[in-house]
Amino acid sequence: MCYVTVATVDDIPPGTTKLVQVEGLPILIVNDRGQFYALQGLCGHQKLSLAKAMVWQGIIDCPWHHFQYDIRTGENVYPRCVYPLEALPHLHQQLERLRTYPVRIVEQHVQVKIEHEPLSNK
Amino acid sequence: MGKVALQMVEQAGIDVKELLDKLVCAASAEFTTYYYYTILRANAIGLEGEGLKEIIEDARLEDRNHFEALVPRIYELGGELPRDIRDFANLAACPDAYLPDRHHNNSDATPRVGFTSGGSDESQTAVLEAKQAVEQGDIRPLLQVLVEAERCAIRVYSDICNMAFGKDHRTYELSLAILNEEIEHEAWFSEFLGEGPSGHFRRGAPGESPYTSRFLVVPHNHS
Ligand code: FES
Repeated sequence: MCYVTVATVDDIPPGTTKLVQVEGLPILIVNDRGQFYALQGLCGHQKLSLAKAMVWQGIIDCPWHHFQYDIRTGENVYPRCVYPLEALPHLHQQLERLRTYPVRIVEQHVQVKIEHEPLSNK
Repeated sequence: MGKVALQMVEQAGIDVKELLDKLVCAASAEFTTYYYYTILRANAIGLEGEGLKEIIEDARLEDRNHFEALVPRIYELGGELPRDIRDFANLAACPDAYLPDRHHNNSDATPRVGFTSGGSDESQTAVLEAKQAVEQGDIRPLLQVLVEAERCAIRVYSDICNMAFGKDHRTYELSLAILNEEIEHEAWFSEFLGEGPSGHFRRGAPGESPYTSRFLVVPHNHS
């Protein structure tokens, strides 16, 4: 396990997101009111890129079909709240939680913790 | 396709392909919402449901108008609708507005809202069950679907307006007209949920589309 620098703090102003690649793995970095978060960069709905996702008050909004996720937990918050999952259980698949990653700031660098040594450091 | 019209949009710095993607997804969301609202409307019955039905009907017809108003712009800009309606539905810019589950805590309860009427034992039991369902807040899941669908639409048209503003004047005006109506729809449903006070007034005629009707080839009140 190690932290990888993916951006500088200035690259991602509050209220914005940035999609980065860590060894080919798409990760969405979110700055919500000065706090940084990192989530899986592909939406659970149709596995499309979350690049240009909007963030507002702890929630990101997928630009494709506007599914929404809690940035702290990656949980789907919409449309889970309105989908009839008892009647249409196949919809569960669309509501997958986004994976989350630990983030830290070191000397103005945004670093994300990934599960293995990055190839470039080997 | 309008050659100079397209040229002006491109020269203004718009990525026409990206704009067209957004417009087609928006048109799909309107078309699918029209379908789903037809189901929701049919299930909004009884005392509270009938009141809600009127608003669903306005929103439903206006969403169909939005589809109608968007399509000419898509073709003017050189785009087209997918040949297969399944592909089209999958593009929808908003999640499907499904009829909610039966009452969350009681799988035997009716999924409908409001009260039914009638004299038979069966219908009297239905009235009782429906009354209990309403008292337990059964109308809320349906309203939640409606209000969230409108909120999604507001995000979609705000995004298109932001993209077109100052660059593609026709798309901007059209999207702004639709946005105005979507914002009103959200207010109708959220006020029904008790998020008031309420400032809205009824439409003069069902699906009147006061903002979008001038973009329609055949306005609703054609004679
Ligand atoms: S791919 Fe994200 S909402 Fe559809």
